[in-house]
Amino acid sequence: MTARLLAQAGVRESVRAYWFWLNAGIFVAGGLLLMLFGQVDVSLLGYRSYGRALAGLMQLALFVVPLMALLSSGAAIAGARETGALDYLLAQPVTREEVFAGKWLGVTGAVVASLVVGYGATGAVAAIKGVPALPIAMLLLFTVVLAAAFVSIGLWVSALASTRGRATSVVFTLWLAFLALGSLGLMAAFVRWGLPAGVLQVWSLVNPVEAFRLAMIALLEADPGLLGPAGAALLDNLGRVGLIAAASGSLVAWTALAYWAGRRAFTSAT
Amino acid sequence: MITGVGLGKSYGDQRVLGDLDFHIEAGERVALLGLNGAGKTTLFRCLLALTDFEGELRVAGETVTPGRKEVRRKIGYVPQQAPLYDMTLTEFVAFFSALRDVAMDGPASTLAALGMPLEETGAKALNELSGGMVQKALLGLALGSGSSVLLLDEPTANLDPGARRDLFRRVREIAAETTLLFASHRLDEIELLADRVLVLHGGGLAFDGTLEELWRATDAAPRLWLSAPAHEVERVAAELRECPVVSDLRANGAGVEVDVRGDASLDLLLEVRQRGLPVTEFRTRPPSLEHVLDRLESHGDATPVDGGGG
Repeated sequence: MTARLLAQAGVRESVRAYWFWLNAGIFVAGGLLLMLFGQVDVSLLGYRSYGRALAGLMQLALFVVPLMALLSSGAAIAGARETGALDYLLAQPVTREEVFAGKWLGVTGAVVASLVVGYGATGAVAAIKGVPALPIAMLLLFTVVLAAAFVSIGLWVSALASTRGRATSVVFTLWLAFLALGSLGLMAAFVRWGLPAGVLQVWSLVNPVEAFRLAMIALLEADPGLLGPAGAALLDNLGRVGLIAAASGSLVAWTALAYWAGRRAFTSAT
Repeated sequence: MITGVGLGKSYGDQRVLGDLDFHIEAGERVALLGLNGAGKTTLFRCLLALTDFEGELRVAGETVTPGRKEVRRKIGYVPQQAPLYDMTLTEFVAFFSALRDVAMDGPASTLAALGMPLEETGAKALNELSGGMVQKALLGLALGSGSSVLLLDEPTANLDPGARRDLFRRVREIAAETTLLFASHRLDEIELLADRVLVLHGGGLAFDGTLEELWRATDAAPRLWLSAPAHEVERVAAELRECPVVSDLRANGAGVEVDVRGDASLDLLLEVRQRGLPVTEFRTRPPSLEHVLDRLESHGDATPVDGGGG
C-alpha cells in the first residue's frame, strides 16, 4: 500500500520531468525513422529488413535506456535527501524498505511508461505496414528488463551518495564504463592482456549492456556476425535458446542483486 | 506522553546525547533549547525512530524502536528545512494524508484554520508558496492528521519575524490540546510558546524548568530596549549611563539596549520620564542564549534539572 502510493507519486513526478519526454521523444523519432528506412527494404527483402530496423532500435535502446534509467534513479534518493524531501518522508509512518521499493517502482514505472510511448508509436506504424508485432513486443520487454537493471544500479548508487551531483557523476561514469567495456572495448583489453577467451565470454554475459545486446540479436535472428567474437562463441557453446536465457538471467540477476544491495545500503543508514 | 530514560546517542566517536532523563506530560508545550549542534535534531530523530540510540524512549504509549514506523502515526513533524516536492499543495496534502492513512478532510480543515484554504491555495505548486506558507502547510498536515504529539524542529529558522510570530500564534490557537516539543535557539520564540524549557548543552540536559526558573538560575533578566530618534540616541545613552539602576548599556542607530540591576525596569521608566528623554518605544528582550548557556555552565548544580518535568 505505502510502496504503491510512493510509486504513484514517483511516476507522477517523473512524467513532469524533462527526461521522461526526452526519452519518449528519442524513441518515437528513432523508431519512426528506422521504420521509414526499413520500408524500402521491406518491399525488396521482406521481414529481414525489419530485423535491421529493430536492430537499429535496439542500438538506440542500448545507449539511451541505461543512461535515462541511471540518471533518473541516481537522483531519486540523493536528490530527495538534498532537498529535505527524504527526511520529511521518513518522518511519516513509512519504513525505509517501503520507501526504497516505492522509489524503485516509481522510477521503473516512469521509464517503462516513456518506453511504451516511444515503442508504441513505432509499433503503430509497424502495424499499419503489416509488420508482425511480436519482435517489437519482445524488444520492448527486454528493454524494460534492461531499464529495471539500471534503475536498481542507479538507486544503489543514490542510496550511497551524499549529494545528487556525486550520484550523477558516478552513474554517468558507470554508463560510460558499461558501454566502453562492450564487445570492442573488451576485445581490445583482452588482446592487450592476453586473457583467456572464456573470461571474455563470461564478461559479455555479466555486463548488462552486452547481455541485452546478445539476447536481442539472438532473439531477432539477426546476422550472427553482429554478435561479435564472444557472442558467437557463446552461441556455439549455449545454443540460441541458452544464450537468450543466460543473457536474460544476467539482466534479472543485476536487477535483483543491485536492488538488494541498494536496499541494504539505504536501510542501514541510521 | 514523552519519556526518555538514559537516552544516549553517538555518531562514531562523537557523543551527541548522553544519558538524558526527561518526561513531558500530555498537553505540555516544551521548548528544546540549545545552540546549533547541541543535539536537538538528533533527539527528534530518536523520537521519530529514525536512528538507533541507547536507553529507552516512549511516545504516546508506544515504545520507540528504531526503524519501526508505528510511533510516527502519533507524531506530527515540522522540519527546519521545508521539503521540496514537485507537487501542488492539494497533491501534497492528499499524498501525505494517504501515507498517514487519514482522510484529507482533517488536514484540509486545519489548513483553512491556518488561513490557507485549499480552495484558494491548493492549485499552487509548493515551490510557488512562501516559506511561511509551506511551514503552515506542514503544520496543517501534522495537526490535521490526528497526531497527539507535535515535534517542531526550528520551524521558523527561515522565516521573517512577522511570519514567525504569526506561525506561533496559530500554533497556540490550534494545538492547544497537543503535546508540543519544539526546538529552537531563539529565546524570544520560547517566550511566545513554551510552558517549560529543556536546555541541551554539551550533549546533556543542562536545565529543565520554566522560563522564569531559567532566568533565576542564570541571573539572566530580560534586557530592555528603548527606541529613540537617530539624532537623539547618543544623548539618551549618555543620560541613561548616569542612572544608578543601569548596569550595562549598548547603543546603535535605532535605540539603546539596557541591562538593569535587579528588578528595576519600572525605575528605569521613571528615570526616562523624569529626564524627559525622547524614547518612542519601550520593550523587553530576552537575554542572549550564549549568556544563558555560559551561566548554566558556570553555575553547574544551581540549575533545577530534575528530569521529572512540569
